Amino acid sequence: MTRQAARGHAHLWFVGPALFLMFAILLLPIAVAAGLSVTDYGLGNLSNEFVGLQNYERIFTRSTYEKMFGATFRYVGVVVPVSVALGLGAALLIHSLGRMGDLYKTIYFLPVMAALIAMAIVWEFALHPTIGYVNRGLELSCGTVLERLSFFAEGCDRTFPLWLTDRDTAIWTVAFIGVWQGFGFNMVLYLAGLTGIPRELYHAAEMDGARSAWERFRLVTWPMLGPTTVFVVTISIIRSFQVFDMVEAFYPQGGGPSKSVYVMMFAIYEKGVQQNLMGIGAAITVVFLGFVMVLTLLQRRLIERRTHYV
Amino acid sequence: MSDAAIAAPRVESQGYRFPVSETIKHAVLIIGALIVLFPFYVMISLSLKSPPEILQNIGGFFGSQETFIDDACLIVGGTEEECLKNPVVYNYTTAFEKAPLVRYMLNGVIVTASIFLIQVLIALPCAYALAKLRFWGREAVFGMVLFCLLIPVHAIALPLYVMLAKLGLTNTYAALVIPWTISVFGIFLMRQFFMTVPDDLIDAARMDGMSEYAIVWRVMLPTAIPALTAFAIFSVVAHWNDYFWPRIVITGDRTLFTPPLGLREFKGDADGDNYGPMMATAVVIVTPLVVAFLLAQRRFVEGITLTGMK
Repeated sequence: MTRQAARGHAHLWFVGPALFLMFAILLLPIAVAAGLSVTDYGLGNLSNEFVGLQNYERIFTRSTYEKMFGATFRYVGVVVPVSVALGLGAALLIHSLGRMGDLYKTIYFLPVMAALIAMAIVWEFALHPTIGYVNRGLELSCGTVLERLSFFAEGCDRTFPLWLTDRDTAIWTVAFIGVWQGFGFNMVLYLAGLTGIPRELYHAAEMDGARSAWERFRLVTWPMLGPTTVFVVTISIIRSFQVFDMVEAFYPQGGGPSKSVYVMMFAIYEKGVQQNLMGIGAAITVVFLGFVMVLTLLQRRLIERRTHYV
Repeated sequence: MSDAAIAAPRVESQGYRFPVSETIKHAVLIIGALIVLFPFYVMISLSLKSPPEILQNIGGFFGSQETFIDDACLIVGGTEEECLKNPVVYNYTTAFEKAPLVRYMLNGVIVTASIFLIQVLIALPCAYALAKLRFWGREAVFGMVLFCLLIPVHAIALPLYVMLAKLGLTNTYAALVIPWTISVFGIFLMRQFFMTVPDDLIDAARMDGMSEYAIVWRVMLPTAIPALTAFAIFSVVAHWNDYFWPRIVITGDRTLFTPPLGLREFKGDADGDNYGPMMATAVVIVTPLVVAFLLAQRRFVEGITLTGMK
């Protein structure tokens, strides 16, 4: 009986610490962020006034934050579709090659493993307007047949793109690096999805007259990858919303040329940590959390519906 | 299913494809691989070259490996002979001498190891209780785990930072570790895994007079090794490469820098970008995980794809 009683309490010791940490580290900060977002708090400040929704009002009216949303949505808008499409394309090609595709799989997954901050610094050098490998490589085209193309003609005439330091190209260049880093991860998820499709379905589709590879893809592969796609898309969105490392490495001050790369995570860091404007930083945090949570819930809904359907 | 069985042999006879299509697939994948590998090539190549070779872009991949005169050494007052350096030796020794890189690496190991150990210590018993013990409120606790899965820790970094600052914990190891001690994802993963462990195993252990604590660590832990390995890889990769959180809580104290922070410091140096040693540092930081990945690919892919489920 006494042992039974001891068993009866074991769960408290097992669940207690985890429960406490969930409250203290995950739930309490959300409350703290919500609380701070309606004040003008700063670490070490004596005044801590209630300012109502003023911080939120700023976020949705000031041009700085307009740029913040612009940069974030541009980045997400490019990285998500491109990295999902490339991930799917690579997975389909590699899957169709069988064991011979393994080497490509390894290579494409390398950027996922490497510390992004390190690779960002390498990219910054490679994309350097004058001494970088990319523009030096492009200069080789000068005087060749390629110069007939307007891009090369213009580049040889004046300069090739400045990539990270031009406000027209900066965000797209950063997005390119984001795709470079992330599509291998999507590829692996798609490969897992592809191995889960029963071969019989392809046979059945063929019986029904789906002769071409495209038909088989449209009728079998794509619908069967539905849940994987929902998953991959949501994960890509959430991950790309959180882009920070590159932006801070390239533009430690101010978020790039004319703030064109001023993404949300960087804004939180700059306002909250660098400038000690906790109120506004917390308000951006709340908006950010809202985005991420809605997206994750949406994903769960969609996957549940899909799996019922399939 | 009988239809499929009939269809099978027919499809196999069509399974041969033109070598042309195979060649095109390989060509596309090779181009992709070259783009993916490009920054790794740049990183390694620059870490082998002397400063003049880097700035003039000569010497191919390995550089000429001719000795060069280190200007910084001359300024300090070295004689020309003392300042003759071999590029590789110079780059890598400078990487280790100029910044306490060994210390940074050690910090990285300490932080990632402590995070993983504490995560397991907290998550495993909780997962066991949620999977195998019946107690009042179990569903509520599990519901909370599911809710907390929605919260990315990076997104709540600002309130966490305020809380840690209030506790006077910024610039400590504790600040680097505390936010990651609770892995709701780990709990969820382990719980799902424990659900598949037969109850008989636990009942037998109880018959033998084992306490619940002994069951968790001596029966459940060994059965969970595969899931735990995948989780370990997921956790170590995420925290070894993490730049955002250390950047926020470690502000002044260089002795607490993790490898990504150390690399960043190199970049912001006042005496201009010294690319050779900087790339050598990047190589040193990226290599451990990449080598581990190449040695145990399958496990790594399993582990990292867990990231997606977070």
